[in-house]
Amino acid sequence: MKLTINEVAQCLRLPVSTVERWIRQGRIPIQKTGNRYLFNESTLEKWAAMYKLPFSLPEKVNATPQQIKMENLLPSMKRGGLLYDIKGDGVETVLKNAVENIHYLSSSIKEILYSSLLEREHLTSTGIGKGVAIPHPHDPLKDMIKNSLISTCFLEKPIDFKAVDGKPVFVMFILLSPSTKIHLHLLSRLSFCIRENAFVEFLKTTPDSTAFFSNIVDFENRLVKGEGY
Amino acid sequence: MRILTSWRYPGNWPIFRFDDRLLLILMAAIVGNFSGLASVALNRSLVMMSEWLHHFRHYWWVFVLPAVGAALSSLFLEKVVNEGAGHGVPEVIYSVSRYGGLLRFRSSFSRLISSCLTIGTGGSAGPEAPVVISGAAIGSNIAKYFSLNDRQRVTLVGCGAAGAISSIFNAPIAGMVFAIEVIVGEWKSVNIVPIAIASVAGTEISRLLQGNQIPFSHHLFNIDLLNIFACLGLAVLSAAASILLTRMLRSMHTVSHKVSAPVWIRAAMGGCAVGVIGLFLPVVLGEGYHTVKILIEGEYGQVLAVLALASFAKIAATALTLGWGGSGGIFAPCLVIGSLVGVTYHHLLALFWPSASWVNEGYYALLGMAGLISGMLQAPLTGIFLIIEITGGWEVILPLIIVSAVTTTLCHYFEPASYYLKDLVEHGHLLRPGTDARVLSDLNVPELIEKDCIIVNQNMLLRDFIAIIKKSHRNFFPVEDDKTGHFLGIIHLDDIRPYLFDPVMYDAVILGQIMNTQVEVVHPDDDLLDVARKMDMKGLFSMPVVVNNRFLGLISKATILDQYRKELMVQTSH
Repeated sequence: MKLTINEVAQCLRLPVSTVERWIRQGRIPIQKTGNRYLFNESTLEKWAAMYKLPFSLPEKVNATPQQIKMENLLPSMKRGGLLYDIKGDGVETVLKNAVENIHYLSSSIKEILYSSLLEREHLTSTGIGKGVAIPHPHDPLKDMIKNSLISTCFLEKPIDFKAVDGKPVFVMFILLSPSTKIHLHLLSRLSFCIRENAFVEFLKTTPDSTAFFSNIVDFENRLVKGEGY
Repeated sequence: MRILTSWRYPGNWPIFRFDDRLLLILMAAIVGNFSGLASVALNRSLVMMSEWLHHFRHYWWVFVLPAVGAALSSLFLEKVVNEGAGHGVPEVIYSVSRYGGLLRFRSSFSRLISSCLTIGTGGSAGPEAPVVISGAAIGSNIAKYFSLNDRQRVTLVGCGAAGAISSIFNAPIAGMVFAIEVIVGEWKSVNIVPIAIASVAGTEISRLLQGNQIPFSHHLFNIDLLNIFACLGLAVLSAAASILLTRMLRSMHTVSHKVSAPVWIRAAMGGCAVGVIGLFLPVVLGEGYHTVKILIEGEYGQVLAVLALASFAKIAATALTLGWGGSGGIFAPCLVIGSLVGVTYHHLLALFWPSASWVNEGYYALLGMAGLISGMLQAPLTGIFLIIEITGGWEVILPLIIVSAVTTTLCHYFEPASYYLKDLVEHGHLLRPGTDARVLSDLNVPELIEKDCIIVNQNMLLRDFIAIIKKSHRNFFPVEDDKTGHFLGIIHLDDIRPYLFDPVMYDAVILGQIMNTQVEVVHPDDDLLDVARKMDMKGLFSMPVVVNNRFLGLISKATILDQYRKELMVQTSH
């Protein structure tokens, strides 16, 4: 493969103008006669090694960037499902019952999940106020789940969750994600919804799944407009 | 057609791409020969000129001869070839440090002709600087013809200078040392080998055409300890003479520039003054090799007062010739002044301690010459090797080294930069290879510019701006006018940090209100040294690059450091 002078500059991670100046000053083993550049790649590589300069062929620029478009709330929520009348009078029992009822997960994962959720609750409460809690594991579950999921759990009766504003929690969103990045992405979207008092009031009515998901779709649309992508 | 294009770029011929070092050595030999020829030509024409003008020496109006010569040479330089007066060595050093040794082709002959006119008619100047420039220009143009790069061109410029000095003095080592010490300033084998070859070539060509003769005759001196100690006094005296000469040259230069007359009239006035001095002390006229010869022989039978007067007169004449616009170098005058000072010192010694056994005056003349050369050029090695070679005497080397070292040190104390480098140092143009200033001056702003800034306009709301911050990975946001596109100011993330978490402000603040308009900006042509200094003074880490009110990009200390490191690695570790 024959390199152009631009590619040489890329290999050296330098601006082209610097490489051109070095050629003019004779600091790099490339000769310019007329408007042709003469050089030998292996010599150039040896030269770079001698001066401890980085020299590597530029990676093929992938047409499709690595970044996969992250899922929004709706698919995760559908996967997690809506759970009604979760029984319990303390944080532990509520979480235990909720995790048991998530159908998407296998039983082995449920145990791990339960203990890690508890662990996280011992750290600080995930009750974010307004009667809402978002329990989640401290570290993402990585390989154990392929897709993120959000289980919306309506409690039978509000319980004390040691939330920041002290209000008893009536609804929990159990948030599980394979990576921290997805976790933060979903968390920021979820908190956008909860910030609105109307949505919280709507949750208090314990809506059925159709009404709930259509409401979420509305929020998603507003987010799309607001953020411009 | 193909043959024609291949002649246009001989650098494309495979033979020249065979091996860089061999190629350079071959070129060095060619350059050395050519500059040797140039110096022989100047030497011959000076001899012819003085023989021809010898017939007029007994007329009363002889004192106008230097005036005519100086005026003609100044006219020639000014009108015909359009080059500056003076000796020109600083221009060569300047071109080596700034432009990779690029010199004009006409420089290869212009100074030869003008200095021939000045010196041949009796002006007090030396033919060495003109041949150095010719040689350098020849080297530079040969390098250009074969499309060599800057490094190689600088080496060939050095080769030209070495060939010229070697040829004119028949002194290969002195030529080599001069080229490396004064012109190139870099002691590396890549330079030394070609320059040595050029010295040999230059010397050979002059020996072939003029015979192998040592310029000044060789004497055996019987040097005892007393005489070695005595040379310390001579070192002080020659340092004083060097400083006096440097100061005189500069003051004459300023005085002459205050006279509002065309340059050639000024040159004529200076020449006239030299002519008048020459009427009484003919020793000051011309390049003065003959005088030096007599002085070394110890046959200049004059009394102390005349010798001292002659020393001063020669200094004055040199300052008058060169300071007022004549053309020539200071090498030969230095030799004359040095030998005069040396002989004067000998007479002084003999006067105060008549009973001591002093070596004859030739010995002190030699030491004086070395002292003056070392003092003026502040190049001790050049002084030592030149004197040894032109007199062919190795036994004086101990006192020579002492005198050269002491004079250089003393002169350095009073004049921190040598006569050649003084102007360059004052303007910050002296950039020796491998120095910090050199590395910084090679880097320039366009190479360091970072363009991945997101540009915002002054009417944007803070809310929209925060959405932009989410996407960017830089802390600086240049603000442009949305209509004219002019650069208005810059916003740093720190500027909006207080409002970042205050949603009330999101729709209340526009960027025009929070942007920083008092920004130090950089122009792409700015010297990086100034940019770095500005950053240091204001404690900045980044500065916007702005040209014609347009924002081009950002320049930051981190990138400067990164590039500087790479540049340093490439420039210094050879």
